[in-house]
Amino acid sequence: MVQLPKVNELGFFEIRLESIGGLGANLAGKMIAEAGVMGAGLNGVSFSSYGSEKKGSAVKAHIRFCDIDARIRDTSPVERPHVIGIFHENLSKTTNVISGMYEDSIVLVNSKKSTDQLKEQLKLKGGIIAVVDATGISMEENNRVNMAMLGGLFRLCGFLDPEFMKGVIHKSLAKKYPGAVQPALNTFQRGYDEVTFHTFELEEGDRMPDYVRMDTPVLGYETQPIGGTITNPGNSILKDLSISRAGRMPHFDDDKCIHCAACDNVCPDFCFVWEELPDKKGRPQMFLQGIDYQYCKGCLKCVQACPTDALASELEEDGYAEGHRVAHRFNLAL
Amino acid sequence: MAIDIRKETGPGGTVEQRIVYESGNEMAAYAAHQINYHVMGYFPISPSTEVAQFLDLMKANGEHDIVLIPADGEHGSAGVCYGASVAGGRVFNATSANGYLYMLEQMPVQSGTRFPMVMNLVCRSVSGPLDIHGDHSDLYFALNTGWPIVLCRDPQAVYDMNIIALRLAEDPEVRLPVLVASDGYFTSHQKRRVMTFTNREDVLKFVGEHPPEGFVHVLDRENPITVGPYMNEPDYINNCYQQSMAMYRAEAVYDRIRKEYAELTGRDYPILDQYRMEDAEVAVFLLNSSAEIIKDVVDQLRSKGIKAGSISPNIIRPFPGQAIAEALRNVKALTVGDRADSFGGHGGNMVLEIKAALQTYRNHTTMVVSRVYGLGGKDFYAEDGLKMFEYALDAVDKGFVEKPFDYHGHTPGDPTKAPKRVLEPMKYEDLNTGLITVTPDEETGKLNVRVPPLRALTKKPKRIAPGHGACPGCGIFSGLELFFKGIEGDIVALFHTGCAMVVTTGYPYSAHKATYIHNLFQNGAATLSGVVEMFHERKRRGEFDHLGLKDDFIFVMITGDGGMDIGMGPAIGAALRNHRMIILEYDNEGYMNTGAQLSYSTPMGHRTSTSNVGKAQGGKVFHHKDTAQIMAATNIPYVFTGSEASPVDLVRKAAKAQWYAQKVGMVYGKILITCPLNWLSDDKDGATIIDQAVDSCFFPLYEVENGVTNITYNPEDKGKRVPVSDWLQMMGKTRHLSKPEHAETLREFEGEIERRWSRLKAKHENPYL
Repeated sequence: MVQLPKVNELGFFEIRLESIGGLGANLAGKMIAEAGVMGAGLNGVSFSSYGSEKKGSAVKAHIRFCDIDARIRDTSPVERPHVIGIFHENLSKTTNVISGMYEDSIVLVNSKKSTDQLKEQLKLKGGIIAVVDATGISMEENNRVNMAMLGGLFRLCGFLDPEFMKGVIHKSLAKKYPGAVQPALNTFQRGYDEVTFHTFELEEGDRMPDYVRMDTPVLGYETQPIGGTITNPGNSILKDLSISRAGRMPHFDDDKCIHCAACDNVCPDFCFVWEELPDKKGRPQMFLQGIDYQYCKGCLKCVQACPTDALASELEEDGYAEGHRVAHRFNLAL
Repeated sequence: MAIDIRKETGPGGTVEQRIVYESGNEMAAYAAHQINYHVMGYFPISPSTEVAQFLDLMKANGEHDIVLIPADGEHGSAGVCYGASVAGGRVFNATSANGYLYMLEQMPVQSGTRFPMVMNLVCRSVSGPLDIHGDHSDLYFALNTGWPIVLCRDPQAVYDMNIIALRLAEDPEVRLPVLVASDGYFTSHQKRRVMTFTNREDVLKFVGEHPPEGFVHVLDRENPITVGPYMNEPDYINNCYQQSMAMYRAEAVYDRIRKEYAELTGRDYPILDQYRMEDAEVAVFLLNSSAEIIKDVVDQLRSKGIKAGSISPNIIRPFPGQAIAEALRNVKALTVGDRADSFGGHGGNMVLEIKAALQTYRNHTTMVVSRVYGLGGKDFYAEDGLKMFEYALDAVDKGFVEKPFDYHGHTPGDPTKAPKRVLEPMKYEDLNTGLITVTPDEETGKLNVRVPPLRALTKKPKRIAPGHGACPGCGIFSGLELFFKGIEGDIVALFHTGCAMVVTTGYPYSAHKATYIHNLFQNGAATLSGVVEMFHERKRRGEFDHLGLKDDFIFVMITGDGGMDIGMGPAIGAALRNHRMIILEYDNEGYMNTGAQLSYSTPMGHRTSTSNVGKAQGGKVFHHKDTAQIMAATNIPYVFTGSEASPVDLVRKAAKAQWYAQKVGMVYGKILITCPLNWLSDDKDGATIIDQAVDSCFFPLYEVENGVTNITYNPEDKGKRVPVSDWLQMMGKTRHLSKPEHAETLREFEGEIERRWSRLKAKHENPYL
């Protein structure tokens, strides 16, 4: 039987995956857990967080391992992970993805950035940052991000057997999608091989931040209106949905736009910003100003609907959305 | 379900067993498939829905024979199950929360007429505001239904109890339906190692190959019976007494069965699960999953020398009061955690029953602290368990219980973060642009509509704010806003339960800029009827004069196709009463909010999570519901279909809808919209797929105005008609239909499309059809 590298006071080695729905973190969590339980002879439990949001929103997967004889009683979410897998680096904009880590926990990030840049971005005080360009690998291998992340996570969890995982990949895909087997195996292997590490020592006298329980609400019984009524509706405009984009985004070229509103008619997220301006003859007319990328989930329906080349599908580059965002001018009460 | 099986014999027991790594829901389904029930009637509701999904997947692969019946709602599913059980076979169901309450009136009938069956209650909060996570408020409603209730603390127990429950239900001394209760998400969705019977024959040997003989059913022609007579007061009390006796007998019967099961499997579920109670001075009583977590806390306290213990029943109906009172004999103080409140009862149901038991069995020394915790799925951490013990230890210290009843885990909130209005209300002038005009044509009796170029309508504010949590490429919101572009003035919207409701109102956020209501999944049409009539009556009484009302509201109910299944009755009721309101259905061909189960609007052959594709089944087996024609048959003034792919057509219909709904009566409209996630299609293709659905004549665009049908876009006239297969090949959910083994299904589906299209054309030609 394998030996877990470290355990908490209840005997668990704990992993938390931070992702957005649709990147396959839930499935990756299940596969890691199965590899531990069915492949490595450990006892384990795995589950995901379920909320009101759908694909494209932040989700978490939780995995606990312990010795085969240990009883698993805890059903609460993983607050103090030994390993964290971050499937989308921009999650750190809206979520404290490294909450509760120990000073020797390992954080695996899907990113092209350097470990120093990531330390800054994650506001990490101490711990090990591991990086793998899972998105890049998956695009090159024509497979999914979660396979590359799985490869990386197996590298971090030396007690798991990558050969068992390859068997599972083979078995689950061979019958239905035989063509996907080799790309999946390649993606997994490259994820495993291409991880790089850097250890950041916690500074003398400093300590890791305390975690805040995941079930801590913003409002409370003294502040929330009775009956659950929301008295400040429309406040969803405060949300930032840009993490929902899974790689591509629409670019807007004003010169080619005929202002036909075909994009506006199909956009599920109301990202198009219009303004009434005088036309060539001086009559008031609606003109498309651009895209409010804060809400764009990158579905590209608008690109499909555009009768000209004013909207184009492009790979998302860091900073483009912030630089080219045309913000909605809401009638704010604040 | 990819049950991964590793052969291994259990730690004890005599039967051959093997290990799987699965969740509670998977284990309920797995046990049911091994038992091979005759019939399951079901209706999707989180978190229990997966049970039917897993069974459907196994059925598609030919792994069992259970007849799976997708009912029209939980009331219907309970009716299906009742009918199936009076017909003498073995019957299974699974539900949760509001679904359970919707079927509640069937429960005492099932037990009172003494027909056994087994139902899994995957416990979830019964609530408004809607919370779909796990607590015991649904379970507490079950306490008075006359069903024995067994509890499952983890996925292993879900499997074992499902097998034990059937034996208990069918026992000649019991003959009652049995409820198998597990914790939603904590148990239903967490995967664990679970030991199972390797061979189905061994399961059947334990539960009996067939239901026991000698009990009446309605399919025995030699012995006709009358089920469910009208019974008055001299007799009814005696029927109840019989039932009460059977319920109390169930305790001993359960005890016998569980011992037999323990010998077979090595796993024992005594009536009371006691952990380190031998010499315990303080104890905590909890149900199900948290009763496991608390054991870790017991160990921690014991290591510090505190004599702590945990006590938790495996069966709560009949309530093992005597056993509990005896187990607590030497305990100085007990904290009872109730995961649901009995508002005003000074404690949840468990603490009240425990206090009654202590009184009955003359335990006058154990002090009892009551705490309501973990509501709506609020997590129970070990630190919460520690608190539970601290409440009891405090009583021991003081010699009395300072606060007999309270909540645990509630928070006051920071006053500086109290909600403040973010957006100003939309301006009436902005919503009432005057760009759209509707005038009745006195000659034809129809409406003439003028709409500007769609570009001009971008000036109108959107009714829904960005920032909602729908999937990328979701067709709902583009479809709704396009419809709203055709509406001038203020809308009061009611949304049925479904994706559109859930993703726009995740507390404390709301994406609805105007007033919005959500009530129950099925009850929107009735609810909005009430709003509409209250509006007109209050207006008549002059009660809005000071509220700045400029014009009548337009009342719109938004529903998915699922809401029009379970809510069909209320929708027809509202239509027959002809209230001045609009019902707009967004049809994405399934129950997408709960994980893509089939709805009656799912077309034949389409794959969903309850119409799987395998060697024994090729997607949905019956045709899609023609809701627009059903609603047209209520003779309301205006019915239409629309799509975001034909924007001008939809905006015109919206304008007409407003006119009829404000001046005449009810309007029903259906828009077909894409669900890329569950149609397994590309996010960007939404509008194109809908276009193809229209051009293949699967989803014709038409209206029925004052009873007269008018096809507003005829792809044949425009030379644009495409084969059905062109549309189907754009979606992963229908790709199998191009294969030879599904050719017959495709042909049948195409035939139905052609038949309905031809009939529609005939109606278009003839105003009397």
